[in-house]
Parts: sequence; C-alpha cells; structure tokens
Amino acid sequence: MTTPAARTAPISGESGPAESKPPTELADLSVMIGGQGGDGTLTVSDLLGRYFRKGGLYVYTSRNVLSRIRGGHADASVRASRDPISTVKPEIDVLVAFDNEAVEMGKLELASHGFVIYDSTGFHIDLPNSAGFPFATLVGGPLGQPIFKNTAAYGALSVLLGFDLERTRAVIEERFKRRGAEALEKNLKALEIGRKAALEVAGLPNRFSVLDGDAHDQILTTGNQAVALGFVVGGGRFFAGYPITPATEVMEYLQRYLPAFGGIVRQAEDELAAVNMIIGAAYAGARVMTSTSGPGLALMTEGIGQAGTAEIPIVVADCARVGPSTGQPTRHEQSDLSHLANLGHGEYPRFILTPASPEDCFTVTIEALNLAEKWRVPVILLLDQALCQNTSTSDRFDLAGAHLDRGQRLSVEDVNALTEYKVYKFSDNGISPYAAPGTPGVWAEVTGNEHDEWGHVSVNPTNRNRMMKKRMGKMIHARDELPAARLFGDANAKVGFIGYGSTSGPILETQSILAARGLKTRYFQARTVFPVPVHELDPFLNSVDVAYIVEHNYTGQFARLIREHLPWHHAKLRSILKYDGFTFRTPQIIAEVKEAH
Amino acid sequence: MVQSAKPVPPIWCPGCGDFSLLAAVKKAAANLKIGPSDLVLVGGIGCSGSIHNFLEVNGIHALHGRLLAQAVGVKLSNPGLTVVAAGGDGDGYAIGMGHFMHAFKKNVSLLYIVMNNETYGLTKGQPSPTSQVGFEGNVEQPFDAILSALSIPAPNFIARTFSGDPKTMTAVLEEAIRFNHENRGFAFVEDLSPCVTYNDTYKLWREKVVDVSKIPGYDPTDRKTMFRLYLETTESGKIPIGVMHRPKEVQKAGLEAKLLGDAQGPARSEIALEPNLAAYQKLLASVA
Repeated sequence: MTTPAARTAPISGESGPAESKPPTELADLSVMIGGQGGDGTLTVSDLLGRYFRKGGLYVYTSRNVLSRIRGGHADASVRASRDPISTVKPEIDVLVAFDNEAVEMGKLELASHGFVIYDSTGFHIDLPNSAGFPFATLVGGPLGQPIFKNTAAYGALSVLLGFDLERTRAVIEERFKRRGAEALEKNLKALEIGRKAALEVAGLPNRFSVLDGDAHDQILTTGNQAVALGFVVGGGRFFAGYPITPATEVMEYLQRYLPAFGGIVRQAEDELAAVNMIIGAAYAGARVMTSTSGPGLALMTEGIGQAGTAEIPIVVADCARVGPSTGQPTRHEQSDLSHLANLGHGEYPRFILTPASPEDCFTVTIEALNLAEKWRVPVILLLDQALCQNTSTSDRFDLAGAHLDRGQRLSVEDVNALTEYKVYKFSDNGISPYAAPGTPGVWAEVTGNEHDEWGHVSVNPTNRNRMMKKRMGKMIHARDELPAARLFGDANAKVGFIGYGSTSGPILETQSILAARGLKTRYFQARTVFPVPVHELDPFLNSVDVAYIVEHNYTGQFARLIREHLPWHHAKLRSILKYDGFTFRTPQIIAEVKEAH
Repeated sequence: MVQSAKPVPPIWCPGCGDFSLLAAVKKAAANLKIGPSDLVLVGGIGCSGSIHNFLEVNGIHALHGRLLAQAVGVKLSNPGLTVVAAGGDGDGYAIGMGHFMHAFKKNVSLLYIVMNNETYGLTKGQPSPTSQVGFEGNVEQPFDAILSALSIPAPNFIARTFSGDPKTMTAVLEEAIRFNHENRGFAFVEDLSPCVTYNDTYKLWREKVVDVSKIPGYDPTDRKTMFRLYLETTESGKIPIGVMHRPKEVQKAGLEAKLLGDAQGPARSEIALEPNLAAYQKLLASVA
C-alpha cells in the first residue's frame, strides 16, 4: 500500500521550488476527471461546474460513461470560459485520474502545459507535471470509507487552480445539503483533507489561475431539463414514457414538475404503451409528449403513424444515441434522421424540429406543442445525446416570448353554432376543427383506417385522394410557422456550414477560429429539418460556393435529404462526418475545411 | 341539434356473438343514462374491434393490441368520461398481452370487454391464444384470461359473460360501468362470443356454461375461493360465467382518483399562460 508520502514528494519533472513561478492564467480551462464507474467522476465535474458558474464563467460539461453503474472507464469533463462556449475544448488543461486507464486516455489530449492529479492509492505514474495523492487512503482512515476520495480530489484541484475557499465550500454545501448533515460534514472534511495534502506540495498551489467572468445571469442546465420545462410552460399535462438512455431525465424532471399543475406522468410498461397512452390522452384533449431514443422510437413508429393519419396531436422527443439496435446507449450520434423523415409504413405529415441549445429546447418544445395541436399532426423533437445530457450555461428561459396556440379547438359555444360536426372536415389548409370527447352535443369517430369526413371507414378512391391531399398538404401550409433556421457568421462568406442540434457548438467555435485566420464562413443552423426547409436552404446555398454539412452519422443523412430536395445545389455540398460516439472537436472540422481552401 | 357521426351497419356475419354484446352495451348505457358525448368506446383491431362504428358514441379505433393503452390515456386525461375498450381475444391476449396484464395492475377505472371467439375471424379462422388444442392444427395450450386476471392482487372487477345469455350480460356490464363511475378501478369482462363462420361454439358453450354464483361457496370478494371454484369447474369440463371478482371494500382505488384527487384531469386543466404565470416563474427560477 502506498504511504501518504506523496504529500512531501516534489512534483515529478519539477526542478527546484516552483513557488516563485507566476500562475498560468487560463481564460478557457478544461478539466477532465476519469476513473472507474462509481469513482464519482461526475460528482467532481458537477462541483467544478457549480464553482465556475458562481464565478460568472460560461460552463460546458460532458460525460463519457458506459452503460453500467459500477466499473468500466468513465470520465467527465468541465470547460469554463469567459466567453460563451457550447462544446468541449479539444485539449485538456488539468486531468484528474482515479486509475491508470484514465491517465492513458487523458494524456492523449493533455495540453503541453497540462497537469495531472491522480489517486496514487493503487498506482504510480511517471509523467512530468503530475502529482499523486493517495486520496482513497487519506479519506478512508478519518471518514471510514474511501468513497470520499472524489471530494478530496476536488479539494486538491481547488488548490491547484487557486480557488476561492469560501466559494469552494459553498459549492459542497449546495451539492450535499440534501443528503443530510452527516454526508455534508464528511464531504467538507474530505475537501479539507484534499486541500491540506495539495498545499504541502511545492509548486502545486495556485499553479493555474482561473479568472472570474461576468456571465452571472446564466443558468446551468441540459437539453433534457429544458424540454421538460418547455413542456410544462407549453401547457403539456400528460406524459408517458419508458426509461431509456439518454431520454430518461425528461420523464424524471416531469415527475417532479407536472403534478403541481394537475398533470400526469406515467412510466408505461413499454414504449408501445407509452406512445399509445399519449395518443389516447391527446385524443381526449390534453397536450401530451413522450421521450425516447432509437430503440424506443422504433417501437413507437406504428403509433406515430396512427397519430399522423387519425390527426391526433402528439409530441415525441427523440434523444438520439448511437444505433442501430442497442448500439451504444450512452454515446452520441445523429443517425435517426433518415428513419424519422420516412417514419413508418404509408405516408403522413410530420414536423421534425431540431433545437440547438437548452434555451432553444425550451422554446422549440413550446412551439412543438402549439404546432401539433394547431395542425393536428405528430411533431418530433429531434435531439441528440450531447444536447440532452451535457450541461451548459444558458440564458434564463424567457416567458415573455412564450405563447399558446390551441388552433381550432371547439368550445361548447363553438359547437352550438354548428349544424354538423365532421371531425375530418375538408378545409383549405387541411385543418379540421376539433371537439374533444366530452364536449356536450357532439361525438365523432376517430380512426387510423382511411375514413371520410365523419370518421367512418372509407375505401372510396375519390375520398382517399382528397384525404391524402388534406393531410399531406399540412406540410406545405404550415411551412412559415415552423421554427426558422438561424444564420451565423459573415453574410458575404463563400464557405458555408449546415448543421443542427448540438453540432452547432463545434461549428460556431470553428467559425471563430477560421475567422481569426482570415476565412469567412456562414453557418445555417437548421431548426426544422422536415419538411426540408427548401425555402430557407435555397437562398443560403445560392450565397455560398461550398457548403459543409456537418453531422454525426456514416451516410450523411441530412446531406442526402438536402440533395433529394434541392438537387440543383448538388455540386456545392460536402459532408463532414463523425460516428465514433464522440462529439466533433473543432480541429477535425478545421482540417477538413482547410484541405479544400 | 348538431349532426354528429351516425352509426353504420355492423360488418359482422349474421348470427355473430358480437351482436349480443353490442345490444348489451347500448342497453347498459341507456339504463345508466350515459349520452354519446360522454361515452368513449375504444375499439381494437379485428371483427369485434369495429364495434364503435355501430352505435352513437365517441369512437376511437386503436392500433392492434394497443386499445388498453389508448383507453388508459383517455381516462387519465379526462376522468369525467365513461371509457369502454372492446376488442377480440387475439387483440387482447396475443399482440396486446403486455398491456392486458398491466391493466389490472394499473387499475384505471375503465371497462375492458374481450369478445372471445377462440379464433382470428377477420383473417379467416387462424388459431388464437384461446383456441382449444386441435383447432386448426393448434398444439398450444389455450390461455385462460380469468385465471390470469385473478392472479393479480388488485381491487379489480372481473367477470365473464356469454353472448347466448344477453340478460346476464347487460346486468354485468351495468355493474362494471357503475364500478368505474365510483372510481373503484379497472373492470374486465370476457364475453364468450362465438364466431359462427370459423368456430361456431354456440351449441357447445350453451351446454357447458354454468352460473358461477350458483356454485356452493361462491364468494367473489375472496380471491382464494374463486380460484378454487373456477379451477374445479373448468377441470370438470364446464365453463363458469358471472362475476369472478369484486373487491369487498368500496373505495376510490382507481388510478385516476389516486393521481388526480379532485383535479379535473389533464384534458380539462387550465393551460393558458396568464393564470399560470406566477407558478411558471417560480418553476423557472428554481433552475440554477
């Protein structure tokens, strides 16, 4: 067993006392914490995120975990910056390692000035700019359990990074107060143990200094939390789901939020039940949603088709992960788009919306509920693992811009003014006014069979043609109401990017790096991907000589959709693809663009 | 008077057992004074599942096997509605089996009627989960829905009727719907409804059915007794019909009552921004 001797050992690679050395100032810092599942890496990342946020910095955290609760490599990274960020930093400034595997993985991305703090209880490394502390042993004696080693590591980090002590402690209190007085006290002791050990190592204290920022109005949140909040504010009152990574948190947040508003959240027996429960609830007149990921989406496909043809307004949040089949449950991919655009057997209208940030998730979820109810169609919120689960700072969600549009929902007074109530009444824009069951004086037949205006089953070919045109036409008539694309960068640029979802983060950062090097670019951030926004893409593609479609899949799914719908721009389109389970890092995008320019 | 959807003529073969069920549903609704606006009939897929087209009602035609999930959604969303789900044995006990077993556990106050004819009629006579060994080459044991229903210790209403005995059927349906109206929970009625074209069991069943309430020791509030009575009766070659389980305690055990208390339900709750603004602001402020 290692002795706590590391406390007095000089930092390997250091020659002589380092106290005289001025701290390296970092305005954009990244810390990676790695170890085995159960080592508490996510807790350290959470504590750091809270600390930086209190310092007015923009924060982005990501995680790399396996689909298991204990064991296996797991790491988390935290980035903090004085400027807005929405992606991981390509290099690591500080690595915290609880095992040798974390060192081996982390050192590949370690910056030249990078520093490693590791738990030397079980192993030693011989790297310059590293310090080992037997955290597990140090806390195991006084606190009785080695599990507090992660908080001790946070203590050592606070010394290395020159943290303010009061704020460092406040973060511990904030995080552990809900676990009870004993847990809080032990974590505060672990913090002290880690700090004391680090303070005794020459050259370690205040080696880096992280400047505070002025982004004090920000919140730290995830796409999943934002979707749940948007659902509540958008009038969503019935949610059914089935646990699945990376979508489960939407259901968990709603279990907390919704009952206070008279809403219901049910964990169903499977995804088939989940989607059919929301279909029933929407038919009865509630605003509804389910959230799932690829495997669950496959099971829900038949139900979404029924919602399309029976004109029942549902919202399905697809938190995409690596597929097909079980794929990589905890990893990132954007490979559900082709499936969604062609979802199900037969043809029916659907809107697929792609928010890019937590704030956008909040806004677009409200819009999804409005669009579903007004147009009486299924609306898909297409998200991705990084957007759903990575935390980032965001502007506070704004109620001022929120509005509710219930479409042509018939009240008792409206119904009394009618001579007849046809649930699938033909109209210019395809919308038929709807009276929920229970509205006195009227009733209707609602079905996924082809039907006439009354909802009676019909095989009449003339009716079939009219009904198909009524439903499919919604995708044309609703065009200007769907979330509009956002454009970033230089309007005169000849190099374009196209992307959606969390990929916006690396694209935006790539743009500023390229701009600093003299290459002007413009980014088309799609917020509706289906129906393909031809009216927005056409002028954008006219304005550039080349457009890079940046997406996380093997076959270039969005690029294929764009080629299909705007074939005259074929020659301008290039794909930048990544499908290894990790999000884009800016150097890859820059390298692929630079190759051509 | 606003004109709503008019019923269409049934698609069933003359003599189909489902006609009795349709008549009994209409009669029960009339006796209980439930108007078409307040009644939702969730139909399954198959001959029986088209029942909602044949009476004045809010009808929703669910996907194959999913009628219970949709019915649960309807009732939880608006507990003021009377919700009846009706489908066949293939729909309920094969493709919909997962939802069937969970319905007893969920205990939402709605009525589920399975018109059991021991075959897939609409696809022309294939064996179903309840088909006897030997029917159309069936070598699998028939599924027993009543035994399965009794196996879940929840305060449900469980009964079986026979299309050849419409009077008992109406009485059972009325009791089931009243049970729902009192928010007591889930009501399941299996109706033995012969398929005159592919599996005409009228004569056989008429000979075999026995009124379970006439069997000595009958006590539908005691699950153990009913298991024994039911098994003894079926093992003697008879088919018990009547109420198989009815909880002793009269309490609002329905899921909708547990979840909502006095609240109106998701479909009728106020969702406009204005009245909720203060609560929304508080919710959003809790995110740091």
